[in-house]
Amino acid sequence: MSEDATTAQKTGLEPKKVLGIFALAMINVAAVLSIRNFPSMAEFGWSSIGWYIIGTILFLIPLSLAGAELATMLSDKGGGVYAWCKEAFGTKGGFVAVFCEWSNNLVWFPTVLAFIASTLAFAISPALGTNAVYLFVVMMIAFWGTTAIAYFGENVSSKFQNVGVILGSIIPSILIIGLGVYWITSGSAIVLPPFSWAQVVPTFNLSTLPFFATVILLFAGMEMAGFHALEVRNPNTDFPKAMAISAVIIFFCTVMATLAIAFVIPANELSLSAGVMQAIQYFFTALGIPGAVAPMAILITIGGVVSLAAWLIGPALGLGVVAQEGNMPPIFNRTNKHGSPVAVLFIQALIGTFVSLLYIFLPSINQAYWILSAMTVELLCIVYLLVFASLIKLRYSRPDAPRPFKIPGGIPGIWLIGGMGAFGVIFAFIVGLMPTGGSFTTGQTISYVAGILIGTFLLAVPPLIFLKLKKPSWIETGNKEG
Amino acid sequence: MNEVDNSAWAVMLILILIILLPIGWIMVVSTSEPYHIVAGEPLREALENSGITVVSAVNSTLPLPGATGGKIYTLSDENGNLITIQTQPFDSAGSRDAAIKIHNAQSVGKGKPIEDLVVVGNHLIFVRPGTSGTIKKILPELQKIKAR
Repeated sequence: MSEDATTAQKTGLEPKKVLGIFALAMINVAAVLSIRNFPSMAEFGWSSIGWYIIGTILFLIPLSLAGAELATMLSDKGGGVYAWCKEAFGTKGGFVAVFCEWSNNLVWFPTVLAFIASTLAFAISPALGTNAVYLFVVMMIAFWGTTAIAYFGENVSSKFQNVGVILGSIIPSILIIGLGVYWITSGSAIVLPPFSWAQVVPTFNLSTLPFFATVILLFAGMEMAGFHALEVRNPNTDFPKAMAISAVIIFFCTVMATLAIAFVIPANELSLSAGVMQAIQYFFTALGIPGAVAPMAILITIGGVVSLAAWLIGPALGLGVVAQEGNMPPIFNRTNKHGSPVAVLFIQALIGTFVSLLYIFLPSINQAYWILSAMTVELLCIVYLLVFASLIKLRYSRPDAPRPFKIPGGIPGIWLIGGMGAFGVIFAFIVGLMPTGGSFTTGQTISYVAGILIGTFLLAVPPLIFLKLKKPSWIETGNKEG
Repeated sequence: MNEVDNSAWAVMLILILIILLPIGWIMVVSTSEPYHIVAGEPLREALENSGITVVSAVNSTLPLPGATGGKIYTLSDENGNLITIQTQPFDSAGSRDAAIKIHNAQSVGKGKPIEDLVVVGNHLIFVRPGTSGTIKKILPELQKIKAR
């Protein structure tokens, strides 16, 4: 069987075409739009707009356009970024890209799971948020529950995400924006200083530079819909529309909700020390509706779970395709009757559980947390650099391939869009190595940078080892359940 | 047999590379923040020893179990801007570590939280964006206090 044969041919399973524009857009919104970003960004006041514009120009727009072009060009191939980068750089490039997208999650899962558990605690009893047993139990329910939903395939998981993202991300965002508008129209004072364009410009110095990496990757996840290519009803028309819709929803909700919070809560009161819910509580109390805090905590928890689901399912699907093509040992190649890569999902859940266990029960892991967190950023930068490089390279190596959506402007246009994206992620990779906050001694800084580089290398290198060990029999040994 | 061997090696390799080595970092570094009671107000002491004037200090305890008698300090940076730094002592290692975990869970996107955290014994010092220049200045003093 040829290397380029589709996943469906290889597995014998014809994927069900269950996804339309709305479902695709919601997958991206679930992966990117997060309420927990708003209070943090609101600390920057008017300059949050400037930071968002930087992230939009250097990342959101390039990645949305790149995703639309590559997903429509390669709509018959499964694996998302794997298929895109493989087409440009061969199996090695595609495998490294999708593996980095998958492995960065293993470090990130405990963080988002702890956020889910501590936010839910706010709705029940805030004191629970510091109870390690409570945290771990809720984290595991969320993690294995989401894995179970992924087990039942695209139809079930997309319905779950559609409902979840509306309840947990879009409704809370619109609520915050609406209350911000009410705050202004009711004559209450805006706590921000009077608007001026000078205040929109972010402050660039050594202490804010590391934040650049965070801002660039604030919109990470716009490629997530691409992992579901084989399940899309009309990929040639649906992908570009879904990309545009999700980018507009994400940008509008993020900017407006951040400003709404910044209008109501004074910057020096906007402490996140006890969690994002501390800011949300202040917001609703200032508006005279403290009773809304607990329901809001539940909605934000739901938003956290759908974000987790988007990142848990997408890259696992991509890695499943890699396994089906015989690039990983047969143990990874198990697909069930719903088309879900059960072996990858199970191994992912086991590793995530183990890392979460250490995260919760090890004492004080503050500095190590920063290293792991920075590794997440670096691994994502590798993924996106490969995506932007693929976008440019394919215009040269496959200039005549049908592109139902084509970035306008010919070669200069592709260099402009791909170049901006590549510049953004390369810069983010470099500044992502810088320690934040100035709380590191010289010795700690050296071990911090070395830790990030070594850790990133370790989490990016397994594909090369797998390909070295690869045997023709791997493609035949994998089997399917049911 | 070779097939099985390759698979087993590959799985072991992935487990070692993904889990044991990066998590090993956690184990190594986690010992660097021991819990001990630091008497008085370490942040104020470090600020004063570094020649930074505290404009005001107000009591503010975080709504977290084990948090006792926190303060928000307002100080003036080298440009004359007023900046605030929050400090919070905790009554046990468990409550302090739980607060660290809650803080670290407030990341922006897939990045880090925008506020940094300095641990000085039983005290957590929350560093807001744009104030790290000041923290860098007082870090040597905080290290001395940590080592006491």
